[in-house]
Amino acid sequence: MAVADQTQHRGAAVLPRAGLESDTAKMIRRGGIAVLRAVLFAVISLIFLIPFIWMIFGSLRRETEIFQYLFPLSLHTFYPIEWTLEHYRDILGLSEAGNRAGLNFGRNLLNSFIVSTGVVVFSLLFNTMGAYFFARLKFPKKNWLLAFVLVTLFVPFEVTMIPLYIVVRYLNLQNSYWAMIVPWFASPFVIFALIQYFRDIPYELDEAALLDGASYLHILRTVIVPLAIPGLVTVSLLEFQFIWNLFYWPLIAVQDKDIQVLQVVISSQTTQEQTFWGRTFAGSALASVPVILIFLALQRYYVRGVAATGIKG
Amino acid sequence: MATVTSTAPTIQPAVRARGIFSWRNRQLMIAFLFIVPALINFTVFRYIPIASSIRASLYEYSLLRGLRDFIGLDHYARMLNDWVFWDSLKVTALFVIYKVPIQIVLSLALAVLLQRETVGAGVVRSAVLTPMVTSVIVASIIWAMMYHSQLGLIQSMLGAVGIPRQAFLSDASRALPAITVMMIWKDLGFSLIILLAGLKAIPHTYYEAALVDGANAWEAFRRVTIPLLMPVLMFVVVTQAVFSFQVFVPVYQMTQGGPLDSTKVLVYYIYQQGFRFQDMGYASALSVVALIILIIVSYGLMRWLRPQT
Repeated sequence: MAVADQTQHRGAAVLPRAGLESDTAKMIRRGGIAVLRAVLFAVISLIFLIPFIWMIFGSLRRETEIFQYLFPLSLHTFYPIEWTLEHYRDILGLSEAGNRAGLNFGRNLLNSFIVSTGVVVFSLLFNTMGAYFFARLKFPKKNWLLAFVLVTLFVPFEVTMIPLYIVVRYLNLQNSYWAMIVPWFASPFVIFALIQYFRDIPYELDEAALLDGASYLHILRTVIVPLAIPGLVTVSLLEFQFIWNLFYWPLIAVQDKDIQVLQVVISSQTTQEQTFWGRTFAGSALASVPVILIFLALQRYYVRGVAATGIKG
Repeated sequence: MATVTSTAPTIQPAVRARGIFSWRNRQLMIAFLFIVPALINFTVFRYIPIASSIRASLYEYSLLRGLRDFIGLDHYARMLNDWVFWDSLKVTALFVIYKVPIQIVLSLALAVLLQRETVGAGVVRSAVLTPMVTSVIVASIIWAMMYHSQLGLIQSMLGAVGIPRQAFLSDASRALPAITVMMIWKDLGFSLIILLAGLKAIPHTYYEAALVDGANAWEAFRRVTIPLLMPVLMFVVVTQAVFSFQVFVPVYQMTQGGPLDSTKVLVYYIYQQGFRFQDMGYASALSVVALIILIIVSYGLMRWLRPQT
């Protein structure tokens, strides 16, 4: 795999300077650079994290507090004085106010899980089979079939949502879980990535099993899959995140609020009720924190997957 | 495939049947079953949509009333005089032209800064990647609140350095740049990962050779890093241009195409025609044109950025 051998060259290009400085001057200069670098790192990290900090703390405090401490900029612009779970109770429909507003994000959160998990399960099954076919099996004109699959890598995504909707409607799948699962049960990205992983597995293992009279399916289950677990974890992670974060497709494919996914529901909620900032923060946190936690836990796999396939999921 | 060596049937020839049910054909059929589900998926949900949108673009077509009269190329002719369409193309192009170069330069600088794998670099990398794993819709919701003309966090930050409140998303000249900043923040992690992998693939000996020749850090960067990174940079530019050309969600959530159509990008216009105005035929024609533009743009970019060897 391309990325594995790239990691051998870590720590490139820090070019030592030819210098005549004394040791103390060198130490001071190095120390200064280290401090500067630390400050720079902190500033960059903050730029990328501040929206999340504001969102998460904002979801845990009273609305009046959010506005009251906005000016002037201070610690309490972000950090709550009085903590509360009120907004989460509201959006999950556990409080009277939430019930009155017809909020039940727990249900939509569950829908997001069902759809994302469903796609990952189907995708693991069918893409693994497909990648095994391309990496291992003999078939006439196999390169043509591979081209047929890989050309779809270049089918632009958002631009083809309306055409996809026309087909899904024709199949009468619109407004169902299936509409959100079926179009993604095979993925050219995942097949492409898995072919790379499978090719790293020595073919002698297959051959030995074939001579013992094992079927293709048996070889796939007992030889290939156990040895490709890191690759399978990686693609599952990318796929889960990709489906979890989809917005445009569920927005047009599903109208029924009971089966709608969380991303779409938080959007319609905010456009309708611009004033409920606490609930909006809480809903956004609910929709993003699960994938962020999964990502932080499995970051190594994630980075490797993106670097290997060149896609976001 | 190169890796597939012969699985020649060495097992007793006597067992083999003749004709289409021969041992060899059975093996081929079994093999084919492995790829059938994926082929069905790509045919039905990738190829047929494109074909059916080409067909739908030639008809009067709405979701309520279905396919009606065949009107040939009328939708395409209508596009020529549809100034909203041309405007949306311009807005889309502006977005891509603002976003892609800035994002590439920033992520290249970050990649160089973070290429030594220290603890600090790991923390920064995690921070930069967090927006990337968040959905565009959540990013759009939170940023719309940060940009809020009265209660936005950015107003408070500007206030801290003495700048009065500014309108962002409700100002026709600032809305598109505001969305661009948000999307750079969101997508930077993606180009960073790819460029970091690209940097790691450059053998250290190349830098040593440059040093021996008396190059300083900047010269080494310009003469060694950039040329060797060119294929990776090209890949990032093309994929980012293609992704950015299709921007939809932030416009849908933050501005609804406004103010004064200043953020009405092409995909949002297609959505409007199809779902707000119920004109699926015209929306399909627009999708077909967008598809053709994307093919031309990505092909052109690849030709233009091909490393000169």
